[in-house]
Amino acid sequence: MSTMAEGGDVDWELSKENIQPLRRGRDISALHQALSQREEGPTSAVNQQKQMFESELRMYDGDDPLSVWDRYIKWTEQTFPQGGKESNLSTLLERAVTRFTDEKMYHNDPRYVELWIKFAENCPEPLDIYRYMQAQGIGVTQASLYIAWSEEYENQGNYQKADLVYQEAFKKCAEPHDRLLQFHKALQARVSRQVFLKLENGSSDEEPKQPERVSLAHLKHRGKKKAIAPVNRTGTAIKRVTGGLQTHGVPVLGNVSNSQLLIFDENKAEAAGPSEPTLEPWVAPPTSRAKENEQNPAKWCDVKMPQKTKFGHAVMPPPPPKPTFQPFVEESDQPPTMTPCKINPAVNSVLSARKPRTEETPLKRLQEQQHKKAEAGKLQEQSMYCKELLLSGATEFCFEELRAEHFFKKMAQESQKAGGEGCQAAAAAAAAN
Amino acid sequence: MTGCNEYKLNQGPEDSISAVKFSPSTAQFLLVSSWDCTVRLFDVGGNTMRMKYQHTAPVLDCAFYDPTHSWSGGLDAHLKTHDLNTDQDTIVGTHDAPIRCVEYCPEVNVMVTGSWDRSVRLWDPRTPCNAGTFTQPDKVYTLSVAGDRLIVGTAGRRVLVWDLRNMGYVQQRRESSLKYQTRCIRAFPNKQGYVLSSIEGRVAVEYLDPSQEVQKKKYAFKCHRLKEEGIEQVYPVNAISFHSIHNTFATGGSDGFVNIWDPFNKKRLCQFHRYPTSIASLAFSNDGTMLAIASSYMHEKGDISHPEDAIFIRQVTDAETKPKST
Repeated sequence: MSTMAEGGDVDWELSKENIQPLRRGRDISALHQALSQREEGPTSAVNQQKQMFESELRMYDGDDPLSVWDRYIKWTEQTFPQGGKESNLSTLLERAVTRFTDEKMYHNDPRYVELWIKFAENCPEPLDIYRYMQAQGIGVTQASLYIAWSEEYENQGNYQKADLVYQEAFKKCAEPHDRLLQFHKALQARVSRQVFLKLENGSSDEEPKQPERVSLAHLKHRGKKKAIAPVNRTGTAIKRVTGGLQTHGVPVLGNVSNSQLLIFDENKAEAAGPSEPTLEPWVAPPTSRAKENEQNPAKWCDVKMPQKTKFGHAVMPPPPPKPTFQPFVEESDQPPTMTPCKINPAVNSVLSARKPRTEETPLKRLQEQQHKKAEAGKLQEQSMYCKELLLSGATEFCFEELRAEHFFKKMAQESQKAGGEGCQAAAAAAAAN
Repeated sequence: MTGCNEYKLNQGPEDSISAVKFSPSTAQFLLVSSWDCTVRLFDVGGNTMRMKYQHTAPVLDCAFYDPTHSWSGGLDAHLKTHDLNTDQDTIVGTHDAPIRCVEYCPEVNVMVTGSWDRSVRLWDPRTPCNAGTFTQPDKVYTLSVAGDRLIVGTAGRRVLVWDLRNMGYVQQRRESSLKYQTRCIRAFPNKQGYVLSSIEGRVAVEYLDPSQEVQKKKYAFKCHRLKEEGIEQVYPVNAISFHSIHNTFATGGSDGFVNIWDPFNKKRLCQFHRYPTSIASLAFSNDGTMLAIASSYMHEKGDISHPEDAIFIRQVTDAETKPKST
């Protein structure tokens, strides 16, 4: 028993970097299970569970369809601790939030707002999403939206705006109020400490420092399918810094400007530059930023750098003269025999260079979705099947699968009914006796 | 509406038809699997049902191993073989989820099944027993055998090419060149490529040889679309069947039409009249003289009222199936 527990502990100790932090924390047994099967990929049990959620999404006929999505997403978070493409989490979140954008009854449902915040945190530009939510009236009376929004500004070092977000929240009377107050106080405490520390240090950091590892920073993961933490953990590998001594939600007690009780903060996040103190409303989709350093695939060998002379123009070196003699080749010298190759090398040519793709942000897709709905009247093409049902989850279904689900449901109902009748008959018989 | 070259089979299934397959030796026998939980054997010439056996759940596919043995699988996840001479059932094995496709590969003498449990399993038809399980990246929706190669189409628009003689690794991993869900894949009888149809009125012709000049020949085209009041209605293309001699193929869509295509000249050879409802399955007889057409609603638009399920046997001519020489 103890050895098993130890083994489990070691497992999780060894994989810390590959576990995405969750606001709500993780279920330790789910984590152990997920980590133990990380090597082999998802097991059939996981696939089965996933299929069950997928079919529930499509079969649900109650009055709270969000609950299925909510459970499915929570399960996905627990089952795929490393995140990544394999988990389909970002697809799921996107589908879930787009699905209910028109459902007014969910707009201030804490679960729905929570999904939006998770979605935003998965996006490259969370601030845009928060502004979009505000414009659409999603979560405007929920404290959690403003807390997440403010934290995002704070992470970017924009303390003024972080504070303004709280002002907006108070104006909208977001609920729960005391939570809002608590987080606002904590923010103010952190900001004043930062200001104080900066005064203390003066402007001593003049020369650029060696990049240092930052404790408790979120790392950008590598790998498409399975997200693995990078080896280099400084500079660009860091997604954002949270936690550390700037613990959220803990109001700092006492006088913050007390210089005797200075707490060392190794991260020393610098406040960013000035900013206009207004919340700009949502106007237009953000322009996609052109990617730098995008190189076309090309042959790297046999490339000659142009050589420059003193006078500044390029000169190509003369080609080496052909040898006038016959190079000696040993008679017994055979060309090396090819070792058998397991994988047919010809197959590789099927791979082609990735086609340049138009930059597509999740937000753009959200807006397109709305656009499409508006234009549905003048649609030129019409799909002659239940497209919505087949594609609503994270993975697609085919007609046969959908019909099979209906079949199984009917079977289950019938067997239940038969069972119930059997019981009734038995009860009647007992009563007669 | 049925002319002299076409007739409807009597005693057809009582629910949707999932597959029709001709006997490998003669155009006389046709195997039919259905959502009414049965597999039926028809005497096509005599227009009678010769035999019928049951599964415990709807049957999604069936195949001939030899003229006297049929294999079938469906929602009960049991793979069954049935001796058509003695009318004897054997359960060969199971998948972890419903079985979607059953095929026979004569070159390697192996039965192949594909399932929604994300696996392909091979079965030795002589013993009969399981001869291996091979995990696929997603739920298997369709598969086809080209010589000793196996082409698997899964959810997520993935296509995998396996070598049935060496299942140690995937020979080729591809993405469907069509944008929407894969409905059906069938290999060319000349084993050089395959045809893939999608849920949104489109068909792709692809080649197995990965060399660039061969790959350049691949193409796709739109079909099974109807224009109505300025709106283009796009139907799923559910069925493909190859003519074994001419290498031309027939496609059937949810629009109820059957088209025959010449893949070499990129031409449509003919279109038959509109059938009562969706074309669920198509099969050319091995000698290429007959085409079995299953017209059966597939619940594309949910459980709504629909025309009766029926199987039509159509005599086809060379004019309809042979490429026009230029």
